[in-house]
Amino acid sequence: MTTNPEHHLVWDWTVRLVHWLMVILVLLLWWTAEEGMMDWHKRCGLTMLGLVTFRIIWGFAGSWTARFTPMVRRLGSLRSYVRDLKNGSHKPVFGHGPLGILSVFALLGALSVQVGTGLFSVDVDGLESGPLAIWVSFSTGRDIADFHELNFDILSTLISLHVVAILVYQFILKDNLIPPMVTGKRPSSDFAASSVPSIKAGFWAFVLSSGVAVGSVYAVLNAG
Amino acid sequence: MLNRKIGLLCTSVAGVVLLSACGQSGDSEAASEATSDAGATVLANGMTVAEQIKLRHDTLEDIGDALKGAGDQLKSGSPDMAVIQAAAASVVEKSTGMEDWFPEGTGPDSGVETDALAVIWEDKPDFLTKVSDMQGAAAKFSEAAQGGDAAAIGGAMKELGGTCKACHDKYRKDDD
Repeated sequence: MTTNPEHHLVWDWTVRLVHWLMVILVLLLWWTAEEGMMDWHKRCGLTMLGLVTFRIIWGFAGSWTARFTPMVRRLGSLRSYVRDLKNGSHKPVFGHGPLGILSVFALLGALSVQVGTGLFSVDVDGLESGPLAIWVSFSTGRDIADFHELNFDILSTLISLHVVAILVYQFILKDNLIPPMVTGKRPSSDFAASSVPSIKAGFWAFVLSSGVAVGSVYAVLNAG
Repeated sequence: MLNRKIGLLCTSVAGVVLLSACGQSGDSEAASEATSDAGATVLANGMTVAEQIKLRHDTLEDIGDALKGAGDQLKSGSPDMAVIQAAAASVVEKSTGMEDWFPEGTGPDSGVETDALAVIWEDKPDFLTKVSDMQGAAAKFSEAAQGGDAAAIGGAMKELGGTCKACHDKYRKDDD
């Protein structure tokens, strides 16, 4: 890192922005569904489609701490990581720890399923439906809607686990993960200095990710 | 100390998973028991309880199918009026006689799986009013479909949807 030697950038602004927008949108989507505000539920759902698409492409083309391949490679240290947790010898990790990586895949997977099923869902009266429901029959759309509801339980369980995990890290393991997800930075003293890679992503990676994200929303809107 | 807290967390997570698993298996057990012996009672109209419940379920699903078909057309840039008219006529036809689909003994107590709630038979007059509201709205929807004006059809369909929802909110078991 060149700029500020006292802090390392762990999460770039896109990861942070996407993360917190997802938080807001999950709450909005939940609320609009409960209140039956389907127009807004659909708008928020399409926005979420864009965010999830962006994050998945960013997971291949984006910054180092956001990318999936290094995450998969780091899963190998899961066993020793958990052993350290149990021993009380936990040390902060640059980027996602192995448990956090499992959480990323589970949350992103559940979110993708949620957005995907929402596109094809049909409500019980056959009046409200997702933008791609035109391609499925009423009863298939109903089955998908039931799955959409079931998967929300899975998703909200995973989110609760995620929040509990963050609190456990903060209060029990004394590893405060929230400020870095806001500012992106962590004190360099948290890490063994030699092991910190630069996470800078190229401008074209951003163009590609946002292009595909906008494109996916546009395609869905024009599919009907 | 650390061990204990992590252990506690794992236990509570396991508990949640177990709880939800119990809820699921309980439901499906009740349903499979029900189909085996219950529902064989013959009703005044000659159908068994199970047949009546299945027939109304399938017919309501047909109505949903028709409404979705009409809705899909309206959503597309160039709605096919013939499809909408056929769908609307089918909603009218399928919903004829709906007032007789819910005879005494075809509720959740019958042991047959149904989303019909017992309140139907506790407040039958209100239920029947809502059924007749739906039939009236279906007739208007079909009339609008004949008119061929997409905006008017959309409006009539919304009205109709409102009558579906009015009944479902009060008398149909919520999916979750």
